[in-house]
Amino acid sequence: MSGELQPFADLEGAGHRSFRVEGGSTCIVGSRSAGSGVTCYPARTVCPETGARDMQPAEFGPHAVLYSFATVHVSVTRDVPYTIGYIDFPSGLRTLAHVRRQGDDLACDMPVVLKSDATSWWVEPERSRT
Amino acid sequence: MTDRGVIVGAGMIPMGRHRSSSYPGLAVPAVLAALKSAGLEPGDVQSVTCGHAFGGMLTGQRIVKDVGIGGVPVMNVDNACSGGASALHLASREVEEGRADVVLAIGVDKLTQFGGGTLPLVEEDPEVRVGMVMPALYAMRAERFLFERAETPDLLARVSVKARRHGAANPFAQYQKEVTAEDVLNSRPIAGPLTLLQCCPTGDGAAAVVVVSEARRRAMGASGAAIRASVLHSGKATTGFRDMLTPEITVHSAAEAFAAAGMAPSDMDVVELHDAFSIAELVYYEALGLCGPGEAARLLRDGVTGYGGSVVVNPSGGLLAKGHPVGASGVAQAVEVYWHLTGQAGARQVGGARRALTHVTGGGISGMDHGACTVHVLEAVS
Repeated sequence: MSGELQPFADLEGAGHRSFRVEGGSTCIVGSRSAGSGVTCYPARTVCPETGARDMQPAEFGPHAVLYSFATVHVSVTRDVPYTIGYIDFPSGLRTLAHVRRQGDDLACDMPVVLKSDATSWWVEPERSRT
Repeated sequence: MTDRGVIVGAGMIPMGRHRSSSYPGLAVPAVLAALKSAGLEPGDVQSVTCGHAFGGMLTGQRIVKDVGIGGVPVMNVDNACSGGASALHLASREVEEGRADVVLAIGVDKLTQFGGGTLPLVEEDPEVRVGMVMPALYAMRAERFLFERAETPDLLARVSVKARRHGAANPFAQYQKEVTAEDVLNSRPIAGPLTLLQCCPTGDGAAAVVVVSEARRRAMGASGAAIRASVLHSGKATTGFRDMLTPEITVHSAAEAFAAAGMAPSDMDVVELHDAFSIAELVYYEALGLCGPGEAARLLRDGVTGYGGSVVVNPSGGLLAKGHPVGASGVAQAVEVYWHLTGQAGARQVGGARRALTHVTGGGISGMDHGACTVHVLEAVS
């Protein structure tokens, strides 16, 4: 049987936790279609525009722009409050990110930078570029 | 003119927290009320559609078997919040495509089974795994709206104040008490600029409508609400940038519905739209074409969408006041506009209402505005 008929193990692996640190800078590791150029994060096997199995690893970051954000005060599964936001990369990719804020320091269209520790990544305002 | 069916009977239960009721317990009273108002018997029903999000297997069958309906097709549909409206869409297609001329459409859901909090989303979705919840999605829209339009949360509060004012006249509304802008802004924070009174409540409910062919309606000698357009869209996914103030799924659904109906947004007397959160009403004014881009705030402030305005938006109180048992809402909207178009809306009757639109979206899925959107355009017939 063709390997292409095997289901995707898309609940395993790093998924939305996939990132790489080099020279002190954090980049997230997603994918880009060789044919259409569509970019994705988390990484995918199939291009969401064309259906082609032509996705290749691609890195994004460390700089992005905060499109919008929300601090969430209600959850039955997570500690609150927490802040999430959509971040836009120059390549045209948008993804949802954890946002670390200090007080009322966030604004739409604010430059943000990717940060990470041993297990996770997030964004925070990029002070030097604001 | 294409016969997309006519609503000739409608019923619903008061929205609220009905913890001691099962799904059939919620829906059977609405079904019986709809059949009674249509002057039909259970044995007249030739097809059943049932929308829900959390009812489990065979929800429709569990309901109609208790009123003597059986041996006919029963179609269950989940499209998240658009489930009920999707059931109405299927009912309309049953008539339009000639498979039946008496169809029962049901919407039902019971959210108190989850004990409160935000609507449970599908945990395997990538954004849900990061912490996406529906209030956060709408809060990001609100944040962007306030940023781009240089507005303040006072504007958002006005939406809730209007919804509660309308709901105060609706005996089927979960909330029937008016609130002030201060009440809204001082209620506890939920997500971003959205406070508790800017969010639809947790609740349970059911609604049902009877859709018949035009020929059957004439034979019955009934007045009703003719379905001039019934549009169901899924969202178009992108991994790239998306303008959160211009939800493409609603823009496209509404444009297609108006084209099918041969009508314009300015023809509408009544609109029931998907105000799950305060910001949604403002965004959807523009997406549905009730005003031009950038004009939503003016529309609300000028009272255009309240009683006395040119189009009454959410006379029921909308999802914010009437309540939002998700799979029930699309049918409940249809019940509301049927009552207005047939002069049965009581104290909240929109005078002279002849044409109406209902709009409900469904679900939070990464990369999409929403997973589903249903728009119906209806017109009074007698």
